[in-house]
Amino acid sequence: MIEKENCILEIRNMSKVFDADTETEKDVLKNVNLTVSKNEFLCVLGPSGCGKTTLLRCIAGFENYDGSVLINGAERRRPGIDRVMVFQDFNQLFPWKTVEKNIQYPLKINGIHNKEELNNRTREVLAKVKLSGHEKFYPYQLSGGMKQRVAIAKALALKPEIILMDEPFAALDAMTRNELQSELLRISTQEKCTFIFITHNIQEAIVLGTRIIVLAQHGKIIIDEENKITRPVTPASKGYGEMWERMHEALYQ
Amino acid sequence: MEQKKRSLQAITARVLFIAAIMCIWEYVAKSGMMGRNSALIFPSLEAIGFAFIKNFTSGFAGASLWIYIGNSMKLLFEGLLIGIVLAFVLSGLSMMSSIFYDICNLVISVCDLLPGVALLPVVIIIFGVKPGVIVFLVVHAVLWPMARNVLDGFLAIPNIYIEAGMNMGLKGASLLFGVYLPAATSYIVSGLKVGWARAWRGLISAEMIFGVASCPGIGLFINQMRTNMNNAEMYATLIVIIIIGLLVQYGVLSTIEKCTVKKWGISK
Ligand SMILES: Nc1ncnc2c1ncn2[C@@H]1O[C@H](COP(=O)(O)OP(=O)(O)O)[C@@H](O)[C@H]1O
Ligand SMILES: [Mg+2]
Repeated sequence: MIEKENCILEIRNMSKVFDADTETEKDVLKNVNLTVSKNEFLCVLGPSGCGKTTLLRCIAGFENYDGSVLINGAERRRPGIDRVMVFQDFNQLFPWKTVEKNIQYPLKINGIHNKEELNNRTREVLAKVKLSGHEKFYPYQLSGGMKQRVAIAKALALKPEIILMDEPFAALDAMTRNELQSELLRISTQEKCTFIFITHNIQEAIVLGTRIIVLAQHGKIIIDEENKITRPVTPASKGYGEMWERMHEALYQ
Repeated sequence: MEQKKRSLQAITARVLFIAAIMCIWEYVAKSGMMGRNSALIFPSLEAIGFAFIKNFTSGFAGASLWIYIGNSMKLLFEGLLIGIVLAFVLSGLSMMSSIFYDICNLVISVCDLLPGVALLPVVIIIFGVKPGVIVFLVVHAVLWPMARNVLDGFLAIPNIYIEAGMNMGLKGASLLFGVYLPAATSYIVSGLKVGWARAWRGLISAEMIFGVASCPGIGLFINQMRTNMNNAEMYATLIVIIIIGLLVQYGVLSTIEKCTVKKWGISK
C-alpha cells in the first residue's frame, strides 16, 4: 500500500502475551501488522482492554514482545527519542523541575547544551502550545490541561520522528479537551512529525486523524481508512455522520 | 490573616509557658524547699546563666565548651557523611540486583533494631577506645533508617517517572541520578530527620559512657560537670545540647525541606 521510502513505522507480526506460562496468561496482541507513513496522524480507536495501550508501549519500547518494530527500516526494541510518548497521566512531568527545565532536561541529556538554543527551543514549543510565560512554573501550579500542553511541548522540543499519545486528553473536561484537540490539530499540520494517537472517543479520532484504525480484541485491525473529510472537521462536515456510524458500529459490535 | 492570628497565638502560648516554667523553677530554687541539696538540684537561673557563659569562656580543664562542641561536631559529621553515602550505595545497589535487595532488606531490618550503645562493648574490643568508635556509632545510627527510607522511596516512585526518564534516553546511573534520587526526595528528607535525631542521641550517649581523651566532646563535658558536682554548668550544657538540636532541625533540615519538597509541592 505505502511505498517503502514514505513509510516511517512498520510493525511486523507483533504479539504480546502477559504473564506467559502462568494461570493468568493473557494474549493481548496477536500477530499485529501495521505500517504508518511519514507525517500521518494515525488515530487508534478500540474498546477498553483491546490492547491499545499495550500496542503503544511496545512501539515505545517499554514492553518485550514478539515480532518487530522498524523505524525508517531499522529495528527498535528499547525506548529512544525517535519515539516520544505523551502519557494520559497528568503526572508525567517531573514535579522537581520547572516547566522550562522539564522541557530542557531531555534536550540536555541528548547533547544540546547551548544555552541560547535551549531557550529558543523552549520559547518556541511553549508558544506552540500557548503557554508562553509559564517557564518558571512548577507542575503542581498547573492545571491538568496545562500539564498535558507542557507534555506535548516537551515532546515537540525533542523533534522526534513519531509522537506516541495514549489518550492524553481522556481525563480532561470537555471544554479543555476541545481546546487541546484544536491546538493539537494546528500543531500537527505545521510539524514535520508523525503522530500515533490513541483514543476511545470517535469524535476525537475523526477531528484529529488523517487515518483511523479501529482495533478489536487482540489488537485485530477491523477498520483501516483514510480520513478524507475536509479539515477542520466539525460534526456538521460532510461525511462526518457516516464515518461516525461506521466507527461506532465497529466499536460496539 | 486567620493563619497569622493562629501563629501569633501559638508563639504567645509557648513564650508564656516557658516563662511560667522559669518562674516556678526560680521560686523552687530561691525557697530552698528541696532541702539540703536544693542548690544542687535546682540551681538558680542566674547561676545557670553564669555557668552558661563560664562554659564558653573558661570551660573545663583549660578548654572552653567550644572545643568540646567542635570535637563532637567533627565526629558527628564524619559519621553522618559516611552513613549517608553508604545508605545511598546500599539502596542504589539494591535497586540493581534483587538478591542484593533481599539481603540488604534483612540486614537493615535487623540492624535498625539494634541500639548503637548495645554495640559499644563489642566495638571497643575491636577498635579500642578511639574517636573512631564514636564515628562508628554515628554511622550505625544514621545508616539503617536512612537506607530504609531511601529504599522505600525508590520503591514508591511512580512508574511513569521512570518510563518518562527512559523515554528521554536515561538508563542505569543517569536514571538513578536523574529520576530515582529526585523522585525519592521526600523519603530521603524524612530519612535524614530520623537519622539525624538518632545520630545526635547516639553521639551524646557514647560520649557520656566513655569519653575519648584525645577527642573530648559535649557528652564528656557534661559527664565531667556531673562528677565535679558543677550542676549549674550541667544544666547550662543541656541547654546547649537543646540549642544545637534545634538549630539543625529548623536551620538545616527545614531549609532542605523548604528548598525541595515544599517548593515542588510534593511534601508528604
Ligand atoms: N502489565 C500487565 N500485566 C498483565 N496484564 C496486562 C498488563 N497490562 C495490560 N494488561 C491486560 O492487557 C489487556 C489490554 O490492556 P490495554 O493495552 O491497557 O488496553 P486498552 O489500552 O486498549 O484499554 C487488558 O485486558 C489488561 O488487563
Ligand atoms: Mg489504555
